Amino acid sequence: MTRFAFPYFKLTRQYLAAAVFMAITASTSIGFAAEKINIYSHRQQVLIQPFLDAFTAKTGIETNVVYSSKGLAQRLKAEGPASPADVILTVDIARLSEYADLDLLTPVDSSILQANIPSRLRSEDNRWFGFSERARILVTSKTRVAEGAVLDLEDLAKPEWKGRICSRAGSHDYNRALVASMIAAHGEAATETWARGVVGNLARKPQGNDRSQAKAIFQGLCDVAIMNSYYYGNMKFGDKADQKDWAQSIRLVFTNQSNRGNHMNISGGGVAKYAKNKMAAIAFLEFLTEEKAQHLYGEINFEYPVNPSVLVNGELASWGRFKPDTLPIERLAALAPKAQMIIDRVGW
Amino acid sequence: MVATFLSNFARAQRQPVDRWSIGVILLCGLILGPVLAVLLSAFGDSGGLWSHLYDTVLGRYISNTLILMAGVGVVAIGFGVSSAWVISRYDFAGRRMLEWMLLLPAAIPAYIIAYSYTEFFEYAGPLQSGLRHLFGWQSPRNYWFPEIRSLGGAILVMASVLYPYIYMVTRIAFRLTPASLFEIALVHNRSQFWQVGLPLARPAIMAGLALVMMEVMSDFGTVEFFAIETITLGIFNVWLGMNNLVAAAQISIVGFGFILALLGLELYARSRQQYVSSSRNQTPLAMLVPTKAGVLACWAVCVIPLLFGFFIPVGVLVGLVATNDLLADFLAIRGIIGNTLIVAAIAALVIMVLSAFIVVTASFRAGSKTRKLALFASTGYAFPGTILAIGVLIFTGQLDRAIAALFGPQFQGILITSIGVLFLAYIVRFQAVGYGAMISGVRRLPANMMNASRVLGQGYMDSIRRVIMPLLKSSFLAGMMLVFVDVMKELPMTLLLRPFNFDTLATYTYQFAKDEMLEVAALPALMIVLSGLVPVMLMSAMLRRYR
Repeated sequence: MTRFAFPYFKLTRQYLAAAVFMAITASTSIGFAAEKINIYSHRQQVLIQPFLDAFTAKTGIETNVVYSSKGLAQRLKAEGPASPADVILTVDIARLSEYADLDLLTPVDSSILQANIPSRLRSEDNRWFGFSERARILVTSKTRVAEGAVLDLEDLAKPEWKGRICSRAGSHDYNRALVASMIAAHGEAATETWARGVVGNLARKPQGNDRSQAKAIFQGLCDVAIMNSYYYGNMKFGDKADQKDWAQSIRLVFTNQSNRGNHMNISGGGVAKYAKNKMAAIAFLEFLTEEKAQHLYGEINFEYPVNPSVLVNGELASWGRFKPDTLPIERLAALAPKAQMIIDRVGW
Repeated sequence: MVATFLSNFARAQRQPVDRWSIGVILLCGLILGPVLAVLLSAFGDSGGLWSHLYDTVLGRYISNTLILMAGVGVVAIGFGVSSAWVISRYDFAGRRMLEWMLLLPAAIPAYIIAYSYTEFFEYAGPLQSGLRHLFGWQSPRNYWFPEIRSLGGAILVMASVLYPYIYMVTRIAFRLTPASLFEIALVHNRSQFWQVGLPLARPAIMAGLALVMMEVMSDFGTVEFFAIETITLGIFNVWLGMNNLVAAAQISIVGFGFILALLGLELYARSRQQYVSSSRNQTPLAMLVPTKAGVLACWAVCVIPLLFGFFIPVGVLVGLVATNDLLADFLAIRGIIGNTLIVAAIAALVIMVLSAFIVVTASFRAGSKTRKLALFASTGYAFPGTILAIGVLIFTGQLDRAIAALFGPQFQGILITSIGVLFLAYIVRFQAVGYGAMISGVRRLPANMMNASRVLGQGYMDSIRRVIMPLLKSSFLAGMMLVFVDVMKELPMTLLLRPFNFDTLATYTYQFAKDEMLEVAALPALMIVLSGLVPVMLMSAMLRRYR
């Protein structure tokens, strides 16, 4: 036993000591590297890489990224003051407000951000900012639904759409925010009645993502679907031939144009509370609101600029001008839990 | 405090605690830390959410979860046990190839198989298009076709990739069953399968089934894509939809409770039975030679699971690889392939060494309480990956705070900001796989093997090294193979806990698959399967040698 066990132990101890030493030197030496920012992102790397490349080209500041769709707020919280993160990037206001609720963001006093972002798309205390707007719209079959047959979200509960609507699961972020916007407009009780009507009109059990709803229209399974508008662009200009067909078969309907405007959500971000590279982090946020980056949102993912001085151009402009819902985006996050409860109750 | 706890532990066990047992207890404590962190975070105010959940969705969550578990369990046992029996008892052409091929579905991530199955089975997929073409149907209203995005679809999809967990350990069990017992059945004209093979393989089947059940319980990718409201989907709705991590942790305990009940049931059932063979195989077990029709049946038994678990999904992926320049695409992700293989290899080795240490010590050195602790330490597998990852973060954060308090502020965040946190997560989660493989090996050892060695004057360590470990080699390798492919395809924890600018094939695949850009995701997804192929074949060859 001794012959076997003891030399082994000594050896591991030495290795352990060496490993600890190396870990310490490695972790301290990081601080002396060239100027850089560390980003925790809820947006996929493929979507943010062009922004990062443009930012590095302009400023020389390097970027490091961790991408995860869930749980980064908990990671940031657990890391505490030791966290290496400088910038948080998210999609959907629900994620942004989660960071704000957990007190993980630091207020940023920047006149550029104030000027470039309308106040309804950033937090009152300047902790988070919206960088692009995403429109959640209705799409209808070009062949089976007449233009103008559906105008408002409210129409979806009407009996004429029985068995003709497709949707992804109600508890997805996008639909939850949409239901929250309905609560803001009509109150809880009326929204629940409406949601129950929509669910009663569904052509099939809610499933898939937004693209699969367009596909279902193309296949004739349903006539109307709820979809984020950028999926239309992604299908139309994507690599897949069959998805182009799906896009061909649908018409875009920006809703509620004669009243509150089309429901909008944002992608956004903020500076981490314990950011080590705060100045560079702020520079990055400012960069995202400038003309070049604002256009990139449209070019890469067909999202709308938040900066009022940046004109919508190219493909996006061809979809037509529309009136967005001007509800302060923060309300959507505040109403999200109530929206989820309604979704649970009506079984969406 | 730890010392008092340990000595109390010793007293409770009425035997001295030696350092081997202490090692196991400390190790299990480390592994259970993140699980406890999740459990502890459930002790909070959920804001009266439960009455809402109870009134609305909870019943659906629970019944869907139970149906899913039962369905996947039955199908996976059907696939796994039948193929393991055919492979270990019958001699037919192609057996050697099928033997390792049957493991391949384990290398396909569940979220990928869900996507590719939808491609294949849905309205616009090749199957329905072909049928329409064949029969002249025009629209979905002309015919009925089962909906793949359903509970039944999820059962098929999950069982098709999870059955290898059962196949792997059951095959070893069949192989190690003493030939004499089969001969007795033969002499008495009784079924070799029902009356000898199956009863004696039960511990192995149960060990594999436990893994399958935990995998089903923790799955999020498939159920989200198929929109099946299970407990796990509920966890995420409550956490992300209602910003209520406390209630989410509470729901995850409900799921955890299911798994504990299952383990308890099996523990109870086994406490009244003993599975011990008193001899090694003195004479090699003669394989049965099937008739011509029998050969066909053997092939059918093996090919059906392979068809669903491998050929269909891989065929879809191959069809989707839209690239003209395969080599360039391959070179572009070679760094990621390297990352994946290195991480999976290190994690598999570490996990198996720890599992072997825990299982062997708990079985031969420690008391029954330590054995239960070792079993309990393998339950991290039952939590959804993201929830477990949050547990790992909370636990590591606390550990860091303790280290900084003890050794000074320069150590602040030393663990949580390192890649060590990812490996800890792998250990916490996949310890169950290593444990399952090792424990099913240990349970087949004759009880008196260790005693005989000690009586003959060997020390504990020498007995382990000379007698026990050689007999457990095949279990060790089987476990290592499963952990390797498991780590390779692991997604949610790697996604959340990885260092900056670090991708594995799974995370790289996911960012495309997330938006159903399956044509871009197809190549890295195939790489996961291919990278899994080499170690699976290698370890299969080694397993064959240790038969």
